[in-house]
Amino acid sequence: MDRRTFLAALGATAAATQLPLQAAAEPVQGSGRITLLHTNDTHSRIEPFGPGNGAISGLGGVTRRATLIKQLRQQLGSVLLLDAGDTFQGTPYFNRYKGRLDYQLMRMMGYDAGTLGNHDFDNGVGPLVEALEAMEQLQHANAPFALLNCNYDFKGAPALAKRVRPYQVKTFPGLRVGLTGVGVAFAGLVSDKNHEGITWRDPYESLKPVVKHLREVEKVDLVVLLSHLGYNLNGTAPDDLRLPGAVAGIDAIIGGHSHTFLEAPTKVPQAQGETLVFQVGFGGVNLGRMDFAVAKGTVRAASGSALPVLA
Amino acid sequence: MNLKPFSLLLPALLGLSLAAQTPVPPAKGVVLPVNAAIPEDPEIQKVIAPLAAEIKATFDLPLVKAPQGLFRGRRGEENLLGYWVADAMRLAAQGAINAPVRFAITNAGGLRSNLRAGQLKVADIFELMPFENELVVVELTGAELIQVVSEGIARRGGEPCSGIIARVEGSPEKGILTVTWADGSLIDPKATVKVATSDYLYGGGDSIPTLKTGRKPFTTGITLRQLLLDQCGVLGKANQDLLPPAPGRYSIPVPIQEAIRDKKFKF
Ligand SMILES: [Zn+2]
Repeated sequence: MDRRTFLAALGATAAATQLPLQAAAEPVQGSGRITLLHTNDTHSRIEPFGPGNGAISGLGGVTRRATLIKQLRQQLGSVLLLDAGDTFQGTPYFNRYKGRLDYQLMRMMGYDAGTLGNHDFDNGVGPLVEALEAMEQLQHANAPFALLNCNYDFKGAPALAKRVRPYQVKTFPGLRVGLTGVGVAFAGLVSDKNHEGITWRDPYESLKPVVKHLREVEKVDLVVLLSHLGYNLNGTAPDDLRLPGAVAGIDAIIGGHSHTFLEAPTKVPQAQGETLVFQVGFGGVNLGRMDFAVAKGTVRAASGSALPVLA
Repeated sequence: MNLKPFSLLLPALLGLSLAAQTPVPPAKGVVLPVNAAIPEDPEIQKVIAPLAAEIKATFDLPLVKAPQGLFRGRRGEENLLGYWVADAMRLAAQGAINAPVRFAITNAGGLRSNLRAGQLKVADIFELMPFENELVVVELTGAELIQVVSEGIARRGGEPCSGIIARVEGSPEKGILTVTWADGSLIDPKATVKVATSDYLYGGGDSIPTLKTGRKPFTTGITLRQLLLDQCGVLGKANQDLLPPAPGRYSIPVPIQEAIRDKKFKF
């Protein structure tokens, strides 16, 4: 039996049990709250880590992650579920199912958007596109999620270009959220044949017009970046800690690549306030959570006046 | 605490435009551990269960015959299993970067079991290599390569390697190391050499400090386990046996071996 058909069939039966999302906050424009839930570098870790893996032994697993996400969605209503890339490579599930299963499970869990990590190119562009197709073709109540990236030039890879957007806007009661993504340079990480037709561009320069567009044209209240650059490259390459200083106007960076276990977001000052930089290890061991409140009339210049998030 | 009234007043006081809407920084961002206290989602569980069973079934698939087995070697013996792993790493690295890779080194501590004589199954390779360590290619000078070999000898009597021959002479107090290419030719200390290793060793594991200074790291995305499975698969399909490589890559006199074990050896 064709594996793709098999997964699609299972998804169809599962759809009936899908719970409707709850609407929460009252729709006052420019006033609302949103919770970002996020993962990074899940690396085909479908099952929890087995014993002998030190501090992360027994942690992770998509069945538990799915439950946690469902519970939080029911509690909170306005939730975005996001991923910072490197979904592929690391277990026999990837060797066998070539990433199709990983992306299909992300859709079943209700991911809203992801980005591309270097390992997502491990089998080349063709299999990456096939994995995305398998995810799109799944019959499931959840919509297919978007892949976001604004610093890869996909000109020579049209099948992938069709499936990766530079940014996306999500609307919630009283709140508009702009999402975008950036990826790491291919040199030393992805062999030439595996990123054929795709060129890396400087993430800082690529982001500036996108953030400006989201703020000024799309009039979003919050800008969230999915970054697969890495947390701290000590100035050797663009990274999440230095990005806010180079590109103002980003409220949250959901990071990946460096497998950094942060206990809380790092607050990085920038020209328009501050950026929260977060990353939650790897392998689906943790789910990150960031809560944002947007208050009507709060002004950027007065951004020191923080509103506590209602728990 | 509620700062809303203040926030509403402030723009008027400062004469700022009300149009600009700014997200207010969150009070908190937290890490939620995904642990056993969280129940499994039945929908996802139903999808995964048959696939997990399929993966498990592949563990019993026959890979290749190893009539002599491959062993890490007892005290004083060479680690022929490690040599095979290093050879496979060097071969896979050449395929990944499409250029010659003259040296490979891995850590004996990462090989978790021997390969017993007979028919090998997929599960045997998982037992040998349970970790998700990845093949990395870096650049070293010839001099640094020799230093890497010497650090491996000083620490563990020589980590499994491919592409070179190392001979230690002299005394435990003052060892003399000679390293040549496998064909006996001299290593140019100034030459740039592509070296295959694991992300674990390159990242500083098992302390071969000079390896960490490797330049232009290329992370292949291939796990060591996968390249060993691939190597076995190629032999199996061609109906060839998996045989241990010949010994002779490290020759170290017994008194020096003992001094290394007792941590009393110096070059
Ligand atoms: Zn990465």
